[in-house]
Amino acid sequence: MIILEHLREIFCEVFDDDEIELTPEMTANDVDGWDSLSHVNLIVTIETRFKIRFTQKELLTFKNVGDLNRSINDKVSINR
Amino acid sequence: MLLNQYNIGYICTKQQCDNGLADKIAFRWIAASSVPVNYSFNDLDLQSNKFANILSALGLQTGDIFFTFLPKCPEQFFCFLGALKKEVICGTLFSNFGDEALLDRLGDSGTVGIVTKKSFLKKIRRIVNQLPKLKYVLVVDIDEHQDDTFLSYPKMMADASDGYDTPLTTADTPSVLHYTSGSTGKPKGVLHVHKSLLHQVKTSQEVLQLNADEILWCTADQGWVTGTSYGIIGPWSLGVSQIHFGGMYDADQWFKVLAEEKVTIWYSAPTALRMLMQEDDAVFQKYDLSHLKHIFSVGEPLNPEVIQWSKRVLGKEIYDTWFQTETGAIMISNRPGIDIRPGSMGTPVKGIKPAILADDGEPVCDGVQGNLCLKLGWSSMFVTYLNKDDVYQKKFINGHYFTGDTAVRDMDGYFWFKGRSDDVINTGGHLISPFEIESALLELEEVAESGVIAAPDEMLFEKVVAFVNLNQGFEPSKELEIKLRLYISNKVSSIATPQDLIFVDKVPKNKSGKIMRRVLKARYLGEDEGDISTLED
Repeated sequence: MIILEHLREIFCEVFDDDEIELTPEMTANDVDGWDSLSHVNLIVTIETRFKIRFTQKELLTFKNVGDLNRSINDKVSINR
Repeated sequence: MLLNQYNIGYICTKQQCDNGLADKIAFRWIAASSVPVNYSFNDLDLQSNKFANILSALGLQTGDIFFTFLPKCPEQFFCFLGALKKEVICGTLFSNFGDEALLDRLGDSGTVGIVTKKSFLKKIRRIVNQLPKLKYVLVVDIDEHQDDTFLSYPKMMADASDGYDTPLTTADTPSVLHYTSGSTGKPKGVLHVHKSLLHQVKTSQEVLQLNADEILWCTADQGWVTGTSYGIIGPWSLGVSQIHFGGMYDADQWFKVLAEEKVTIWYSAPTALRMLMQEDDAVFQKYDLSHLKHIFSVGEPLNPEVIQWSKRVLGKEIYDTWFQTETGAIMISNRPGIDIRPGSMGTPVKGIKPAILADDGEPVCDGVQGNLCLKLGWSSMFVTYLNKDDVYQKKFINGHYFTGDTAVRDMDGYFWFKGRSDDVINTGGHLISPFEIESALLELEEVAESGVIAAPDEMLFEKVVAFVNLNQGFEPSKELEIKLRLYISNKVSSIATPQDLIFVDKVPKNKSGKIMRRVLKARYLGEDEGDISTLED
């Protein structure tokens, strides 16, 4: 839950919109401004703030926010 | 057709209805996650009439300026065509523009009104106090007016009449406004007039091969000239049905659209095509593209590898086309009926007379690189840079328009793009001013100096590279890099975000303080820096 809230804060910062509410089903099509270039900003910010790294293969498997959140949780728990 | 009626809004809607196409699908709107909706030419006519009536009720007059700031959505088309019916100049803004980019464009144009989405209001609210002429912000997804400025578009549309008598509009009445970036100074407002549609229609027919039986999918955003010239004006002036897709790039989804919607003509961009080229061939093999007749591309040079890939995987040629915001429509192209020379821009469209000229306006020989210029005399040519007519006048010499691109003409009359004669960056088909990015970076307290260049990129054609020298007391860090990236993305645009951000001790300048981008580029690419005698100590 804490990770999801932190992720929401990153989304708000990257897409400059304080009203974004994350749902597991949410995709780039649901967030105005989520294009391929801002996606790079999103991933770089997530990696830096959570101190994790995604592989290229992992990035390709993310279909929605739920996938992204699950992967962050897995990586953060390994780092602990 | 009414004699001497040049009104783009009228011709794209009412004229099509009068020609018997009222019930024909003008566009099929495919949102990313909902059921597709068809809009007929009659729908397009009535909805744009309503919007013209809204602008009348708000007191907008002929020649006033109104902007759309929307992602792809049906309202974009109703507002654009409605404003043109009312003879209001309609500008369109790329939906990922940030505050600075918006302020530059809305402020310079003195726009009276804008239509936008709730999620973009934060950006508008941050700059609205610096826009004294902005009276109305119409919001497409709020149900109630917030005050006298922030108004509910649905509420106003519900109350508006769907009958509107479009005035008889002359050929030279101002119509569409797009802002374009230069290497110095703020973006410039490129103003077109209603007669532009003559060349837009002609090239839709002669280059894109559009006729009333075709189904067109032009993937360009309406914030750019391709999105208005060939995503609205050209096809709808010919009664052509279009697909408009609201989703982001997704290879599977895109090919599903092409196959299921039986698209016959597809107009896209090299960056998108290069992204598709990265996919496994199996992605494409499951779709039936037998309806697809032609693929066209615009925005940046199309590398021969993409053409070869398309022939191998899709069984189709890709025809590269070339034009600029200023020219309003296609000038030079590869197209069905002429031999394609992969990597070339193609040959001039009928009636267009390009020339390769030296800086003094004298022609150079075939095979020699020079300035790509166009002899004046086509209807979609812009008529001025808004508020900067002096800059506009400097674009001409000996009856030719200097495009800012450099090229070579071969002995068979094919043109080959070589680059820009200035520092403008072409990334993913969008022109970005290094000056805009440098200026935005300098607004941050951490940044003492910045220099921005274009570097070659396999996917984007060119990528933005920023060199940053920090003020004393600040140290480079990953967190600071993120701050700078997000600042550019949210203040200027996501497309302006530096792909590489390099912290340096000094940004090279000449003795008059001008950033020597040529030196930065040479250093980045590991090339010889050339003459550095003018470099400051």
